[in-house]
Amino acid sequence: MRILQTDFSFRHLLGSLAFMVAMTASLAHADTREIATAYGPVSINGTPERVVTLYEGALDAAIATGVKPVGAVITRGGTGVAEYIQEKAGNVEIVGAPGEINIEAVVGQNPDLILASSRLTEEQYALLSRIAPTIVPDFPTLSPETWKKETRLFSLALGREEAGTNIIDTVEERTLEVAALVEKHLGDTSTNTAVIRWMPQGPVVMSEDLFSSGLLAATGFEVNAADIVKEGRPHSHPLSQENLGMIDHPWIFLATLNADGDEALAAARKSHAFQRLQANRNDRIITVNGQLWSSASGPLAALQILDDIADAMKSRSSATQ
Amino acid sequence: MKSTPYYWPAWILLGLVGLTSLLFGAGTLELRQAFAVLAGQGTEEARFIVLELRLPRLAIGLVTGLALGVAGALLQTLTRNPLAEPGLLGVSAGSAFAVSLAILAGASTATLTTLVSQAGALAGCGLVILATRIQGVGQDPVRLVLAGATLSALLMSLTSLIMLIDQRAADEIRFWITGSIAGKNWEQLTTTLPTLVISGFIVIAVAKPLASLALGERVARGLGHRPGLVQLGVVIAVALLTGSATALAGPLMFVGLVVPFVARALGGADIRKTLWLCLPLGPAMIIAADTLSRLLVAPSEMPLGVITALLGAPVLLVIIRTRRIPTL
Repeated sequence: MRILQTDFSFRHLLGSLAFMVAMTASLAHADTREIATAYGPVSINGTPERVVTLYEGALDAAIATGVKPVGAVITRGGTGVAEYIQEKAGNVEIVGAPGEINIEAVVGQNPDLILASSRLTEEQYALLSRIAPTIVPDFPTLSPETWKKETRLFSLALGREEAGTNIIDTVEERTLEVAALVEKHLGDTSTNTAVIRWMPQGPVVMSEDLFSSGLLAATGFEVNAADIVKEGRPHSHPLSQENLGMIDHPWIFLATLNADGDEALAAARKSHAFQRLQANRNDRIITVNGQLWSSASGPLAALQILDDIADAMKSRSSATQ
Repeated sequence: MKSTPYYWPAWILLGLVGLTSLLFGAGTLELRQAFAVLAGQGTEEARFIVLELRLPRLAIGLVTGLALGVAGALLQTLTRNPLAEPGLLGVSAGSAFAVSLAILAGASTATLTTLVSQAGALAGCGLVILATRIQGVGQDPVRLVLAGATLSALLMSLTSLIMLIDQRAADEIRFWITGSIAGKNWEQLTTTLPTLVISGFIVIAVAKPLASLALGERVARGLGHRPGLVQLGVVIAVALLTGSATALAGPLMFVGLVVPFVARALGGADIRKTLWLCLPLGPAMIIAADTLSRLLVAPSEMPLGVITALLGAPVLLVIIRTRRIPTL
């Protein structure tokens, strides 16, 4: 009886060992994933540990799904990663600017996965893909839905597909909340708006297809860039001050690269043409961070932009009534 | 002034160019509306566009054109070189570098730039004068320009370096460095006026001695002038004028080359006649270029510096291609 029992437990042990081996093998197999990129399928094994992101949207998606990249590129108009994500990114190593990647710095990080932007050229891809599997998204650069597709792609590459889906759901829920807030505060009044940057000679108007414009549209704003942004460009040339009437919308989101939005607004207000804008006269100019609003993308950036829109509604609602 | 040929036609040209600049812009304002404003009527918007957007540009164009034309004529006579131009010789680049440094240090393009810009121009002028003292360079117009181009390139690359160090400053510098008189208002103009008046007096004082200096230092001494003092006066005037113009409009190339070139072609080599003609011709060139800059890519605008370079580069080629460059 005792012997039988021992025999049974021994067999049991063997059986579970075999089962575990089989499971591990199948897991390893399931963990090798084939990812469709702009430069063909890339297969990735296991969970990457040392990730270098060469695109702000990739840095954002990685951090949003719980991965802390070891290398990243600077944001537009900055010397490091964008302010909104600085804290979460910690002391990530800077490996260049979006257009000027320092390949040696990338090599120095010894990455096992590189996440790039859809703008990465074939020459750069040829170099980078020799360092580590390189994921280049194949989605249109300027489209409001692109960040979701990219986040799914990057999270799949990172082995964190579920976290990717979750964070997109979170953003979508928050979008609905903010849309309700916009509806509540603006009601039937006009929601025409444009995202601009103010240059001394005139405003630069951001594309309606830009990431931040897409979020504004999703929360109920009517983003109107007056047809002056050329197809495929993120923003217009500086518009002549004589043509400010083209963007004289009830709401203006003023993106600024200066640290202090109020300072930038004060500088813009020195211009007599700016003073005439109805949004300025009605205190409907919302100053926002240019790094976040005109350079960043990804789920965390989306949440921050949605917060900005919600704050604007709360702070300006008293002015509305 | 009476004996200067084409003197009054040049002023009439400036008048026409100025009128055109008030009537045409990047906007959709109808010509009829613009005329109405000039007649003292017009809608509120038309009045705003003509009187508050176009008129200050006209005034700033007037001042920068005057300053650059006169500075070019003075510098050319002083160095006896028809190619000596604040833009080509690195005076503007010196001033641009100084302004970039100031922006890096935290200044804004709207404030404080006039003095900084003039200091930079003065340093640039000093380097030009040093270059003319180098054996061989001073005598050969093209070599002086080459030395100036080298200096310009050096200063411009230092400016680029600043832009690389500080991306935030880069945005402001990049706008400013291409040259533009859009979006400026009266206050910016008034900050440069005192120094312009001072340099005006200096020019009046040195014009006659400078003309005799053109005949040789010995002749000038014989006529009772002090060459050293005259040269110093000219350098200061050039620095003040170029510095003011650069503070207002950014480093504009070729204006100081084209304007005196045309003035000499019309009025002869005497510096006094050249200066009289530069007064209307300099503004006429800038204002015409600015009007073009609004019309070419409407509803946006082109940087003014691009247009002046497009107009000026062929003139430089013409001067160099003429078999023998006349020394002044």
